[in-house]
This record gives sequence, C-alpha cells and structure tokens, in this order.
Amino acid sequence: MRLALGYVPLIDAAPLIAAVECGFTAAEGLAVDLVSEPSWATLRDKLALGHLDGAHMLAPLALASALGISGPETDLVVPLGLSLNGNAVTVSRPLWAEMAPEADDLDTIARAFARVARGRVARGRPLTLGTVHPFSCHTYQLRIFAARGGLDLDADVRLVVIPPPWIAEALRSGQIDGFCVGSPWNSVAVAEGYGRIAAFGCDLAPDCPEKVLALPAFAAETSAPLIRAVHRAGHWCAAPENHRELASLLAHPGHLGIDPGLVRRALAGAVVVDPDGTERRAGRFVMFGAEAAAPSPGHADWILGQMESAGQITATQAQAERARAIYRPDLYAAAFGN
Amino acid sequence: MTEPTLTVAVIDPSRARAAILEEGLTAAGFTRVVVLPDTADLPARVAALNPDVVVIHLESPSRDILEQMSGLSRHVERPVAMFVDRSDVPMMQAAMDAGISAYVVDGLQPQRIRSILDVAILRFNAFARLQRELSEARGELADRKLIERAKGILMTAKGLSEEEAYRTMRRKAMNEKRKIADIARAIVTAADLLG
Repeated sequence: MRLALGYVPLIDAAPLIAAVECGFTAAEGLAVDLVSEPSWATLRDKLALGHLDGAHMLAPLALASALGISGPETDLVVPLGLSLNGNAVTVSRPLWAEMAPEADDLDTIARAFARVARGRVARGRPLTLGTVHPFSCHTYQLRIFAARGGLDLDADVRLVVIPPPWIAEALRSGQIDGFCVGSPWNSVAVAEGYGRIAAFGCDLAPDCPEKVLALPAFAAETSAPLIRAVHRAGHWCAAPENHRELASLLAHPGHLGIDPGLVRRALAGAVVVDPDGTERRAGRFVMFGAEAAAPSPGHADWILGQMESAGQITATQAQAERARAIYRPDLYAAAFGN
Repeated sequence: MTEPTLTVAVIDPSRARAAILEEGLTAAGFTRVVVLPDTADLPARVAALNPDVVVIHLESPSRDILEQMSGLSRHVERPVAMFVDRSDVPMMQAAMDAGISAYVVDGLQPQRIRSILDVAILRFNAFARLQRELSEARGELADRKLIERAKGILMTAKGLSEEEAYRTMRRKAMNEKRKIADIARAIVTAADLLG
C-alpha cells in the first residue's frame, strides 16, 4: 500500500518523519511519501479532498475540520496522538525590557505583560501577538497567558496569524511584539538575539494535546499498520538515546532545515530563554511516545471548551458528541490486538 | 459578462502565474483585479484593498494568515469565509487540482464567485501545461545536443559518416529497446572516461 502523509515542518512532526525515515512504516509493509505542506490550511484541504491519506495535524484544527468550522467539513478520525506540549510564548526584547518582571514565575511574568498591554491600549497602540492558526493550542495558550495576568486578550491585544517559518522574522522586524509558536521557532528568535521566551506552553496548559495523526474516516478500518508504525516511531523519538539521530534527521534541509543543536535542546527540555544565555529546564517541554499516544476523547472536551471561550463556536450537544467521536481509542487498541 | 463592481485580490508566490490570472480575470470583465505580494503583512494590505474575493494559490503560506479573518477572534477587521460551496465537491476538486483556493466575503452570491473560479482554474491549468511543455522542450533540446556529441565521437573513433554514425546508434537503441538519447549518453560518458 502506498500512502501520502502530510506534515508541517515542526519538531513535533518527528513521529511521522521518523516512522518513514527509520523504516517503521516499511516494516509494516507500507510505502509512504512524506509531503511537507506550506500551511495548515493547505494540509487540511488536501486531507479533506483525498489528496493526502493522513496528516500530522494541530489537534484543534482536526476537530474544527471534522465539525466543518474550518474548511470543508471532513469525515476524519484521530486514532493516535503524536505529541503533547512543545510551544512557548516569546516576546520581543524591547517588550521584555518594558515588562521587567520582578520574578521568574509565570504569574509575575503574565502580570507584567498585562500591565504593559494595558498601557499600550491606553495610548491607543495595542500590542500585537502572533499565533500560527486560529484553531491551534497556540491561540488558546496566548489567551491563557493573558488571563493569568488578568488581561482580556480580545479587548486589549491584537492577535494575528503568521506561519511558523515567518514568525521569528515578524518579531525581528517589529511587525509583532510577541508570539506563541512550536519548537524550534522560539529558540530561533532567542538564538538570533531579538526574542525572549516568556512562558513555556507546558506551564500554561499542562500536557496540552498538541498534534495528532488525522486519517480519513473511510481508511479507519485498514489503518492498523500505519498506527503501529507511527506509534513505534513515537516511542523511538521519546528515548533520549535517539535524540542525537532524531535531531539530525529533523534538521535536514529536506525537513526543517535548521540547526540540529536547537532541536536537541527542545527534545531535552533544556531551552535557552534569553539571548544572555539563561537556560530553563522543563521535564515535559515536549512529549512523544507513551504519554502522547493514546487518543483521548477528554482532549476533545478540553479543546471544545477553549474554542468556546475564544468565541469560535457555541457547541451544540450534537457537536460536542461529534467532537468526542473523532477520537478513536478503539482503533488504537485494535492496532495492537487488544 | 462584466462584473464592474467586484474587487478581486490575487495572491501567488509565482509572479508569472499571478500575472496570467490577472490578465485572464481582466479579459473576463473583472475591472478591479489587484495582485498582492505573498508576505506576512497581508492582513493590512487586504484590509486596505477591501476586496470582495481573494484568489490565492493553494500552496501559499499566506493562506493561514487569511484564515484568521474568519475566526481568530471577535475583533476581525473583515469577515472572510473560504469559498467553494461545501456541497460542490467537483468544483472543490477542480480548484484543488489546479492549485487554487479562494476566500470571499460572506454574502456574495455563489454564481458570481463561480465565474471567477472558472477563469482561475482555466488559467492555472494552462499555466501548468505551459510549464510542462517548456520543461519537455528543454529536455528534447538537451537530448538533441547529446546525440550530436555522440555522433561526432563515433565519426572520429570509427571513421563513419554522419549518417552511418546516427544509424549505428539507432540500431543499438532498437536492439536494446532503449531511447537513442540513452545510447548517446552512454557513448558520451564512455568517451569522457576513456578520452
């Protein structure tokens, strides 16, 4: 069987990339073409219209696509989680200097951000923050970050969407004052000297359901070999002894095309947060493998709640049930003969 | 049919393709067609232009930027929804095969958008065909040069006339069920190595 699988070049595409590059799919008798997509919208539409047989997808976008509130309504299933966490909120150095938080804990930093944001509103020049897609954990994590400081994101901040590969440059050029993005783009902004990581995603929304494997529903019954292959690859990605190899695999120009050192730091959860070299460690910075794999309908509830609070949907009972139903722990179990 | 009142924005990473689409839409009677650059400041440009329809290449990273206008927050500058009537799957397939996506302001009549999409699909497919033909033509030209070189090598090495050299290669190609250009490539490679 030959499959076309889509991904957006980010560290958390690792299980899909490793599944193919390390031979896990071949071992299941699958020939896979990995297709790098330039935007989430393109990936979503190609999956919806059958140009892709599966995809690495933002968990909220998979749900929005299934509910028909982003692109064409798509009958898709989520038989496997790919990753938890991995995002961070980064602000420009001038904004960080203005925030000047007195301590390094999340609440202090969030309050310092809120204070500056309100000041800007009062002067008629609200801060602008970047996210990667309306239906993303990044959007919800920015909202949570604002709320921790007592700020109403809708009222006090301008939110814009910028694709991950452009977001660091948008910060450098002053087009935005901060952003929430996945690895490695926060580290790129820090390494190049114009960004300061203000908060880790894993502190804003612990064990946040970040990326999932989304498949067309009609392929669900024959998906066991693919689920097994990507599941094994996820475990392989989680094992620290494989991180060196994984980093060079991901850093390859054919995939992310960035410094493998930045990838390794993210995998290890030892992230440089300030251009002065300050490092912060987080054991659960980005999670693959055992902890991320099981598709949990509880994730659908959490995402739907975030969508509602962002004003993206007022879910009916039927929509809430539909959202839960796209998560398929039964397919996950069946792939392993349970 | 003229559509004097519609403003159409065209966004495409390929300038040539954008120009071809612009020309096609203008020829079809759309008087206000504006090509916007494919950059991160798109929302401001779109807001300033205030188009009725945005036609954007399927593979443009800017699509995610445009989508914020339909659901990012309650503070949208302009409501934009992805076109293509969701029940019209053949149209969506045709648009995707051609590499097109389109966004429209809610409330615009579907048949008016359809005529824009029809033009866009025709133009994009024609562009793809031209590119294919161009790359085939380049390939043929390269093959012809290769065959000329191989002919020259055979003429010198074996004292053949031009006609005899060509026939020798053609016979070899037929016997081995290969293309004459492949035989020529082998001769040129061998001559490079041996000479």
